Amino acid sequence: MTKQTFLHDCHVKLGAKMVDFAGWHMPVQYTSIIEEHKTVRESIGLFDVSHMGEVIYKGKDAKAFLNKMVPQDIEKLTTGKAVYCQLPNKSGGLIDDLIVYCLEENKYLIVHNAARVDEDINWMSLNVGDMDVEIINESHNYSMIAVQGPKACDYMKSLGIEDLPKFFSIKEDKLFGINLWISRTGYTGEDGVELIMKNKYAVAIWENLLSHAGDFTVKPIGLGARDTLRLEACLPLYGNDLDENTTPIEAGLSWSIPKDKSVDYNGKSIIENQIKNGVPKKLIGLKMSDKNIARHGYDVFYNNEKIGVVTSGSVSPSRGDNIALAYIKNLDNLAVGSTIQISIRDKLHDAEIIKRPFVQKRNKN
Amino acid sequence: MNDNSLCTKTHEYLLELENGKYEVGITDYAIEQLGDIVFIELPEVGTEFVKNEVFATIESVKAASEIYMPISGKISEINEEVVNSPELLNDEAYENKWLIKMDSSADQIEFADLMDYSDYKEEIE
Repeated sequence: MTKQTFLHDCHVKLGAKMVDFAGWHMPVQYTSIIEEHKTVRESIGLFDVSHMGEVIYKGKDAKAFLNKMVPQDIEKLTTGKAVYCQLPNKSGGLIDDLIVYCLEENKYLIVHNAARVDEDINWMSLNVGDMDVEIINESHNYSMIAVQGPKACDYMKSLGIEDLPKFFSIKEDKLFGINLWISRTGYTGEDGVELIMKNKYAVAIWENLLSHAGDFTVKPIGLGARDTLRLEACLPLYGNDLDENTTPIEAGLSWSIPKDKSVDYNGKSIIENQIKNGVPKKLIGLKMSDKNIARHGYDVFYNNEKIGVVTSGSVSPSRGDNIALAYIKNLDNLAVGSTIQISIRDKLHDAEIIKRPFVQKRNKN
Repeated sequence: MNDNSLCTKTHEYLLELENGKYEVGITDYAIEQLGDIVFIELPEVGTEFVKNEVFATIESVKAASEIYMPISGKISEINEEVVNSPELLNDEAYENKWLIKMDSSADQIEFADLMDYSDYKEEIE
């Protein structure tokens, strides 16, 4: 059975094209992916991300437990702060990537990918042992709306949220008289917030956000533009760019991993070894030299030898060219500026390795 | 779309221009389903295809779609305008949405599974 978010009828009423995504019936676009993409880069977009999983981890060992599940340092995560984490298996491959929020001492909210939440909870539970941790899946009780774009924070302020949380922070607040969590996070490379509320308030928040725009341009954005936005910002998509056979180091996520974490965590020896001695495959960004588009699963060639595979690829509405992420063998002579080839419908097309992210992120604060 | 078009289950249309000469494109419904069209790859003039063979690729933002020959034929002209500006297919005011023109002497049996435009419209509802 395909699940529906509490905003499903709002999307249908807005004329959205609905598709099945990760077991959910979700809007892929309302008008045009390219138009919606540009709205988020220029003004404000609203996303229904209620399909994401919200899970609470609490108990007197919650901090110690999460600290042995992720490569990031949960000890250092103070109340009200959030951190981007990965969930490695024992070989360092990724079961999921996550945002971990510290709500209070030994109480955490984790936002899981929709398609992975059951798998993640299963893995977490297997690792609890005799530690005092309660895992409560709240996914079916909460809805989530992302408000993203260069004007998103000004818009929130105009609605009475005076004291916005800082980048990667979360706080409780009231919006349109409704209690919710407001988090300064997102998946677009733009500044903005994510709002987490009880299901019964989701429609009121959504409709008020659209109707109170005033001089702001506020439009609903589908999953299609969410994908092109996150790709330009080089934010990995689980299932495309990350999987159980890929470590965070191979995925180019070493920036997110502290080098001095003393506590043991799943996959630590493999991850640390890769940090020190290098990786067999690495994630690269590329742009096509012609108008062809590299898609997920297309092979990458160099000197007529297959060296890798494309994991995400699309047009870049902001740049006007065609971009992609790919994993290739970690060859010394390939770096930014090198030309490689992508096999598209049995023909090789040139592509250049370029710097990531593809567009400058504007969400630092 | 012209009411005399014949349509395939895979959303191509075939329109006879004069005896043995046809144009082929994708239906308005297909265009709407694809969303923003960003790339069109068409075959070279003179290439011959058999019925149901892939002769073109249309890429939307989300995905690449293969376009199939409704009947066998030999390409006589391609629509350079839409190759150069694929977004024209999404433009409701733009009328020349055909992809290729071709010469065909296909046997009647190749037409058996094509639908009249009116039947096609019922099919997609």
